Amino acid sequence: MNQLEIRDLWASIDGEMILKGVNLVVPKGEVHALMGPNGAGKSTLGKILAGDPEYTVEKGEILLDGENILELSPDERARKGLFLAFQYPVEVPGVTIANFLRLALQARLGREVGVAEFWAKVKKALELLDWDESYLSRYLNEGFSGGEKKRNEILQLLVLEPTYAVLDETDSGLDIDALKVVARGVNAMRGPNFGALVITHYQRLLNYIVPDRVHVMMDGRVVAEGGPELALELEAKGYEWLKEKVKEGA
Amino acid sequence: MQVLDKTQVEALSQALGEPAWVLEQRLKALEAFSRLPYPSKKDENWRYTDLSEAPLEQEAEAPKGLRLSRDELPESVRQRLEKTDASGFLVFVGPDLVYAEVPEELSQRGLVFTSLAEALKTHPEKVAAALFQAVYTEDKFAAQNSAFFTHGAFLYVPAGLEVEKPLGVFKVLPEGKASFGRTLLFLEDNAKAAYIEEYLSSDLPPTLHLSATEMVLRPGARLRHAHVQTFGKGVWHFHRQRALLERDAGLNDLVVNLGGAYARSEVASELLGPGAESEMLGLYFGHGKQQFDHYTLQHHVAHHTRSDLLYKGAVKDEARAVFSGLIRLEKGAQKTDAYQANRNLLLSPTARVDSIPQLEIGANDVRCTHGSTTAPVDEMQLFYLQSRGLPRGLAQELLVKAHLADVLTRIPLKALRAHIEAVIEEKVRI
Repeated sequence: MNQLEIRDLWASIDGEMILKGVNLVVPKGEVHALMGPNGAGKSTLGKILAGDPEYTVEKGEILLDGENILELSPDERARKGLFLAFQYPVEVPGVTIANFLRLALQARLGREVGVAEFWAKVKKALELLDWDESYLSRYLNEGFSGGEKKRNEILQLLVLEPTYAVLDETDSGLDIDALKVVARGVNAMRGPNFGALVITHYQRLLNYIVPDRVHVMMDGRVVAEGGPELALELEAKGYEWLKEKVKEGA
Repeated sequence: MQVLDKTQVEALSQALGEPAWVLEQRLKALEAFSRLPYPSKKDENWRYTDLSEAPLEQEAEAPKGLRLSRDELPESVRQRLEKTDASGFLVFVGPDLVYAEVPEELSQRGLVFTSLAEALKTHPEKVAAALFQAVYTEDKFAAQNSAFFTHGAFLYVPAGLEVEKPLGVFKVLPEGKASFGRTLLFLEDNAKAAYIEEYLSSDLPPTLHLSATEMVLRPGARLRHAHVQTFGKGVWHFHRQRALLERDAGLNDLVVNLGGAYARSEVASELLGPGAESEMLGLYFGHGKQQFDHYTLQHHVAHHTRSDLLYKGAVKDEARAVFSGLIRLEKGAQKTDAYQANRNLLLSPTARVDSIPQLEIGANDVRCTHGSTTAPVDEMQLFYLQSRGLPRGLAQELLVKAHLADVLTRIPLKALRAHIEAVIEEKVRI
């Protein structure tokens, strides 16, 4: 029961079916990678897990430690310990990171969080990310570079300490140094009480966040699973061979 | 009716012990009031406004000579006094100046801060130099105020005196009759002051409130002014203010409308002397069936003048807002900068905003921009905030405050800013 489980999930947007029966399990305490070519439905899966209202779930279940969360609003899911690091973090001018993060932490913990407690937590996270305190008084993602936005996602991850995190292409557009920082953040979260699904197009990130398992999505389904070596194989051979294999199997 | 009105004005002026010239001016204003029709939707500046429910015929209550000790002040004022930026203040309950606290040190240095009626007795020449100069008979309501005002506040800052801490007026509108008041702020050469007008009431049956604020800024004078209206339900608030800015004078103005059934603020800055500049900020947030109208004028008469206007608002439920802003550059107003922006956030599909920015440019060597936007809450932003655990209501509240943030952050008066934020928070949750 201690797992994030996706069961036969079908979902569409504007009448077009994007997910066509996704099955996937991430046990608590493990970090899994979700790979696949562009358009496979990886990001859609991430957004649906978080409850993006733009998508319609047609069928299936998402079980968080055994509880179906499909009917829950995005904020209810978050308070239950689910976290999505956005591929394209949203800019919110007028809301400072500090203010937002404290409200989010209070929501997550379901209680008031004093200034001292909050700062202690944030400071630790900032140090880990090698990030300056001055960012906290800036407006949420406003005018941030791609790298800064991703770092900000990891900052939130570290402060909110979710039980399950989905990282949606957090590596895209990052240089190698930023990539290492992001990986350091995620690795710091690893432990028996944390499960993660790292969505990525490239194997590169997985050099720094070594996954316990790798899932491969194509055309709205998980078509292959394996150990970390599967990621290396995909890197070496591309996705074409797998496509052929899937066709043969079908 | 006309004869009765004249008798009323005469009786009022006599009861207040006013000098003859004030009565004369009142009677002239009465003529204008009698001549001018009430505005209707046929008038360009009233086409978005329905006054059919407005208690326009209500008469104003005359002063009763009520005085209170600080402890006897209405609860709402005492609460505000706990956290105010004002170092000296007047409290009006209806037409009565019930309480005043003016730092002795400022009076000794020639500053005058008291009721208009009192100032007309103690400093008639100072009042005479400025009263009715900025707001007189420009329209029906201005004329009505000029003829029938029952009370007012007067601030005079002598040349060169720089008052660092703000002064302010708290006006409480009690249940009963209508209320017509004026404010006259007169700053001599190079004087500096900050002035806060706050208007409060509990929920009332339909009640008419007229206010007029005149600002006369002599060369080099600098004034920070805020007009903050948080009336309870039922109040129909018609506010007109006009600032006359001479050479190198500067005004930072803020108009806040949050309360009442209907509030209309007509705000004008007249940049009469070179080097004059006016920052004009506005903030409003309507809920229920509230309507807030803002009509602004940035009038560049002299060359090398500058104005910068930013009005931001939000409306929810079935609330409405109107922004109509005019930048007028006269022929001689070369080398002027004029900016105007109005931004609105729609929190419900039944809320409505009409935004009309306008330019009249008579000069050619100027920098002038204006813009207006009206948009619903960004669903992507809502989803992002919610995905971090914030309930939708809280996320919306955050976005409303964020929308209004760039006006709020331009208010250096900390206590006032916190007060406005608190009222906004309350309204988001209604």
